[in-house]
Amino acid sequence: MFVLMLPVMYRVVLGPTALDRIVAINMIGTKTAVLLVVIGQFFDQAGMFVDFALAYALLNFVGSLAAARYFKRTRPIHHDLNPDSQPEPGAPAI
Amino acid sequence: MKGLALFAVAFTGALLLYATGDFPDWGSLDSPANGGELSTHYIKEVRKETEVPNIVTAVLADYRGFDTMFETVVVFVAGIAIIAVLRDFGNGSRGYPPALANNLPEEPDLIVTQTCNLVIPVLQIFALYVLAHGHHSPGGGFQGGVMLGASYILIALANGVEAAMKILSERKILLMAATGILIYSGTGLVCLLLGENFLDYHVLSRILPTDPIMARSHAMLFVETGVAFTVTAVMFSIYANLATRGTLKGGL
Amino acid sequence: MFEITISIISGALICGGLVFFLGAAVGLVRFPDFYTRMHSAGKGDTLSTIMILLGIALYQFHDLFREAHSLEEFFEHFKIELLVAIKVTAISVLIMLTSPTSTHALMEAGYDDGMEPFTCEDEDADENQNGKESAGQ
Repeated sequence: MFVLMLPVMYRVVLGPTALDRIVAINMIGTKTAVLLVVIGQFFDQAGMFVDFALAYALLNFVGSLAAARYFKRTRPIHHDLNPDSQPEPGAPAI
Repeated sequence: MKGLALFAVAFTGALLLYATGDFPDWGSLDSPANGGELSTHYIKEVRKETEVPNIVTAVLADYRGFDTMFETVVVFVAGIAIIAVLRDFGNGSRGYPPALANNLPEEPDLIVTQTCNLVIPVLQIFALYVLAHGHHSPGGGFQGGVMLGASYILIALANGVEAAMKILSERKILLMAATGILIYSGTGLVCLLLGENFLDYHVLSRILPTDPIMARSHAMLFVETGVAFTVTAVMFSIYANLATRGTLKGGL
Repeated sequence: MFEITISIISGALICGGLVFFLGAAVGLVRFPDFYTRMHSAGKGDTLSTIMILLGIALYQFHDLFREAHSLEEFFEHFKIELLVAIKVTAISVLIMLTSPTSTHALMEAGYDDGMEPFTCEDEDADENQNGKESAGQ
């Protein structure tokens, strides 16, 4: 499973925008929690490693949510996907 | 310029890697960590002297408790420093741009809010579990405090900083941070007043109805709680000050 | 007999989880646009994690009948293994709740930030370009 994380790292390094990298980091974080449980099972001490995995999964969620909120707060640009159609009656007029 | 920096970093890294060749072998019997007098004393005597199976927590909170107290003070000073530098009491009068560029009202996202409402109690209970279970499994004061602070940050992420400040206002944050340090040094002071050295926990058996060994174990839990208070308050305060550029109003 | 059954089922679950993770990783690398990459990351990641963790939770019970020589020992082992299995299932439920939420938040952040989705005109332009290159050689 560690070998499979390497293509995801490629996307972290390469990804054209910063949001790509954050998506990849979120994925690596989730898989790290799984890897911790697998290692715990390997050493026959699964009870202890499960605590680590739970803590890391929770903190990974907080981290990627914080990164998403950071990107959201600057200048919301509302672009039109269909420039020909009429705007919807309830759309905010930005 | 970047090439020079890269060369400096690579050179220092290579020097450090060369220095690791001098370390004793992994797990060899004559390295200071394995065969030294102090570590064998710890490994043999911790269970008998303190009734705490986790040697790391026992060394951190009891044998080297003075050090941990100053670590907590350092965390507290870091929080105070960020408040002193960033805190803006004049509602953005320092000239920085306000946190939301267009001053749009924040519409909390429904999915994120509901999921965070489900996750935050789990996070807080798990943080308290990590804090209290530090005697038997890896955990303790700093780890539990970080997770508790992360839960408050999650409240701020889901509902806005102002909703989180209603729960934990700035006055409460400062009070909580100071209480943590008070708990730690207060325990040491009580030990001093009872006649023994500072932070020597076994004399607490005179006021607690247990024997000296269990008194050390209980006192360790008490000081770890103090550490957790300080770390929680400082983490949330650093996040709130950084995310709203000191004004603690609106924004992230 | 019980041990072999449990091992086979949990092994199948873990292998399935690895296959889905491979699919998600390949999708993350090869898709042309931010939004499509997020599809593969969010769905594939969550599903593979849940499968692997359920496989590990099931594997905890695999030596239940081997070690116990009396009824009380059996219950002791069963209680310990059940505790760990419940904790692992709790992690998987947590990841099932939170990972799609963070994917959703990131996608909204991308949309608000002004990322253009990959539409048919872009794909036709790409094909035209590739066609011209291969025709020119």
